[in-house]
Amino acid sequence: MSVVVSGSFFLSCSKPSQVHGHLNFQNPMPRWKQNFTVVRCCNRSSWEKPRAQNNYYELLGVSLDSNAQEIKEAYRKLQKKYHPDIVGQKGHEYTLMLNEAYEVLMKEDQRRKYDESLGQMRLRFDNNDMPLGYSTWKGPSRPQALFVDENACIGCRECVHHASNTFTMDEVHGCARVKVQFGDDDQNIEVSIKSCPVNCIYLVEAEELAVLEFLTQPQPKEGYGIFGGGWERPGNVFKAAESFRKQLKREAATRQSQRTGGTVEETPAQAEARAHASMNIKLESFLKTWKWVKEALGMNIN
Amino acid sequence: MLNSLPMFLLMIIYVKSMYEYDTKWGMAEPAAYTVASDSETTGEEKSSSFPEIAIGVDIGTSQCSVAVWNGSQVELLKNTRNQKMMRSYVTFKDDIPSGGVSSQLSHEHELLSGATIFNMKRLIGRVDTDPVVHSSKTLPFLVQTLDIGVRPFIAALVNNMWRSTTPEEVLAIFLVELRALAEAQLKRPIRNVVLTVPVSFSRFQLTRIERACAMAGLHVLRLMPEPTAVALLYGQQQQQASHDNMGSGSEKIALIFNMGAGYCDVAVTATAGGVSQIKSLAGSTIGGEDLLQNMMSHLLPDSESLFKSHGVKEIKLMGLLRVATQDAIHRLSSQTSVQVDVDLGDGLKICKVVDRDEFEEVNKKVFKKCESLIMQCLQDAKLEVEDVNDVIIVGGCSYVPKVKNLVTNIFKGKELYKGMNPLEAAVCGAAVEGAVASGINDPFGNLDLLTIQATPLAIGIRADGNNFVPVIPRNTTMPARKDVVFTTIRDNQTEALILVYEGEGKKAEENHLLGYFKIVGIPAAPKGVPEINVCMDIDASNVLRVLVGVVMPGSRQPAIPVMEVRMPTVDDGHGWCAESLNRTYGATLDLVTLQKKA
Repeated sequence: MSVVVSGSFFLSCSKPSQVHGHLNFQNPMPRWKQNFTVVRCCNRSSWEKPRAQNNYYELLGVSLDSNAQEIKEAYRKLQKKYHPDIVGQKGHEYTLMLNEAYEVLMKEDQRRKYDESLGQMRLRFDNNDMPLGYSTWKGPSRPQALFVDENACIGCRECVHHASNTFTMDEVHGCARVKVQFGDDDQNIEVSIKSCPVNCIYLVEAEELAVLEFLTQPQPKEGYGIFGGGWERPGNVFKAAESFRKQLKREAATRQSQRTGGTVEETPAQAEARAHASMNIKLESFLKTWKWVKEALGMNIN
Repeated sequence: MLNSLPMFLLMIIYVKSMYEYDTKWGMAEPAAYTVASDSETTGEEKSSSFPEIAIGVDIGTSQCSVAVWNGSQVELLKNTRNQKMMRSYVTFKDDIPSGGVSSQLSHEHELLSGATIFNMKRLIGRVDTDPVVHSSKTLPFLVQTLDIGVRPFIAALVNNMWRSTTPEEVLAIFLVELRALAEAQLKRPIRNVVLTVPVSFSRFQLTRIERACAMAGLHVLRLMPEPTAVALLYGQQQQQASHDNMGSGSEKIALIFNMGAGYCDVAVTATAGGVSQIKSLAGSTIGGEDLLQNMMSHLLPDSESLFKSHGVKEIKLMGLLRVATQDAIHRLSSQTSVQVDVDLGDGLKICKVVDRDEFEEVNKKVFKKCESLIMQCLQDAKLEVEDVNDVIIVGGCSYVPKVKNLVTNIFKGKELYKGMNPLEAAVCGAAVEGAVASGINDPFGNLDLLTIQATPLAIGIRADGNNFVPVIPRNTTMPARKDVVFTTIRDNQTEALILVYEGEGKKAEENHLLGYFKIVGIPAAPKGVPEINVCMDIDASNVLRVLVGVVMPGSRQPAIPVMEVRMPTVDDGHGWCAESLNRTYGATLDLVTLQKKA
């Protein structure tokens, strides 16, 4: 019997609807497996939801907003790689997890429940003192800042390896991000920027950093009844930041025009205001966080 | 298991004397067999130098065949009489039995003289309370039942003497012949096989098939439900087609309807890029044999009472009627009416004209069942008739016009899938799986295939009184692992009986008992407090393990060592086993499902 069944294994499945784990792969581990082990090992304190222990999306290598077709294709591709018929008994545990992930994500109601549990976990992280996803500064203030495009990042850990005080792995999203701006000496940072196989580490303007770091985080999508919902992040974070800035400018301009030409030209201003009304409502929530980010950052810089 | 051992050893001696194999092939090493029959059948055994390609074997109720991947395609092996399809029977003459692979029958009637045993696939692993066993009593050899839930007594008439045998032995004899045939043609020793089995086979029946293979010195690499073997072949054809068209290889849904002489199986498969996902399976013990028996009792209404005594005369009579009816049914596939003219002796003569409508009317129930199997399968797969891209009919009964009609009617006149030989599809699929599971690679990507299987029957335990509580439901993707938490029904209950069943019935006794064991040492606590976790794990080679642990609330550690039991543990007589357990323990060691606290 090649699967080792121990007491601890059993406990890991002692709660129904829980993902089970124990991998005894001899091969060098791909990323998801390392993640998985790490996630599993983290202390199981009482508040932690058992389901949150690994991410089905990450396991299947699909994005949070992927449709059934994409999930199906990813599932088949992985099955072809890891099914016990192909790799033998050692694929058993992994295939079990794949089957569970597939079962949940393919059923609309189960997927929504799962997404909710994921969201809860993430909100909990966000409420912690350390706002996950925002970098802190070390040393003197600089005009430029480091930024990892998490959409492009393949999670190779190269940068973490070379400059571990600066970069960190986000195990939930499976990508690297900046923990401390310039936490290592410049030479190490240069090596890690160069070693990135997809060139996703950028030097950006320091004032742009907060916007980028805010936008790169997956945001909850608005749901309409049973449709929509879930989480998404902009496909190109730089473009998103640009349009965000434009929106800010436009808003400022609108306010200006409202203040100056109050009574003179009523109809065009009204039309413009109406056009931007919905945008303003949306922006309000953005701005709140934006201010908060500024505050947090300001404190860190000082 | 002990009582079957002498027969088992006898078998080896018989095998040894009959086929003088090179001993280095490990043919006559009893130790190897006993291990093979009870060890797990994983596909880990890669031979030292180069991977041995497992052969695909289809042992049907009436016909069997063997095929192998020859490096570029599937090749069906022929016997010395140039037959691809060989009759599944064993004739006991003098001392040496001979099977349908090698021997030549002088006449069909010889098959029905009482010395020939066939239809064993219908009887293997069944107890004598099973209606299928009872309906097999009209076969022209001895099937005796005691109706207490033990295996039936089966015997062949040799020189006016009843010589007893078992379904396993009969299957093993022609598996040995098939193996010899393959070894002679492939010029290499054969050890690994992929066998096709009916969907409705219980796990206990599967162990009987494995036992028969072990007796024949074969190692079972996979037991594939028949329609899933066809699904694999379909997956291969689709992939080749998409290669040719440079197509994107979009997903295709196929419904496979396989009706042979003994069993009727349905599967729904979703195929894309060489991966076939089995969405649902359904199967039943109905087939050509039922058509034949219904027709026989139609032609000779009091046949059952007539054949009860199983005298030499009756057997001959039974044989004559069987051959005539079989012939009539075959002819009805192409003609609308046939003349049945048979002299059964003793002034008993049948002279009748039977038309197709009559035949269909007599077998109305069988065809109704076929329809309900298809509908159930579609429903389980959560698909509509319109979602199905291809409808595939295979098996011997696919030649019956009514079967074709009922399938096309369900699918609103959709044209049936062509490009598959109805009789060879299953064995070809098994051969492809044999190559895939042996780790063979094909440079053209023809073996870049995978079948993701599903469990055909639910598995669970007896709980909540006499109910069957499934732990792994039907049509769960394999490999599978699920668990359910149970608890005690009385205060300070320290022991609990776990009865593992397989099937679809609501009541425990409507299902097949797979095994049982007792949990002892549960810490004394009020009822409903201890959490008894029953976890079931099925791996890709279909090995079922049941794990039971007891956890007390507030603790993260199991209170007693976890029990792990490989199923099935029952070896025989599962009918009276459950009754006896029930008599001894009643409900004292029962469990109930623990309601999850919200």
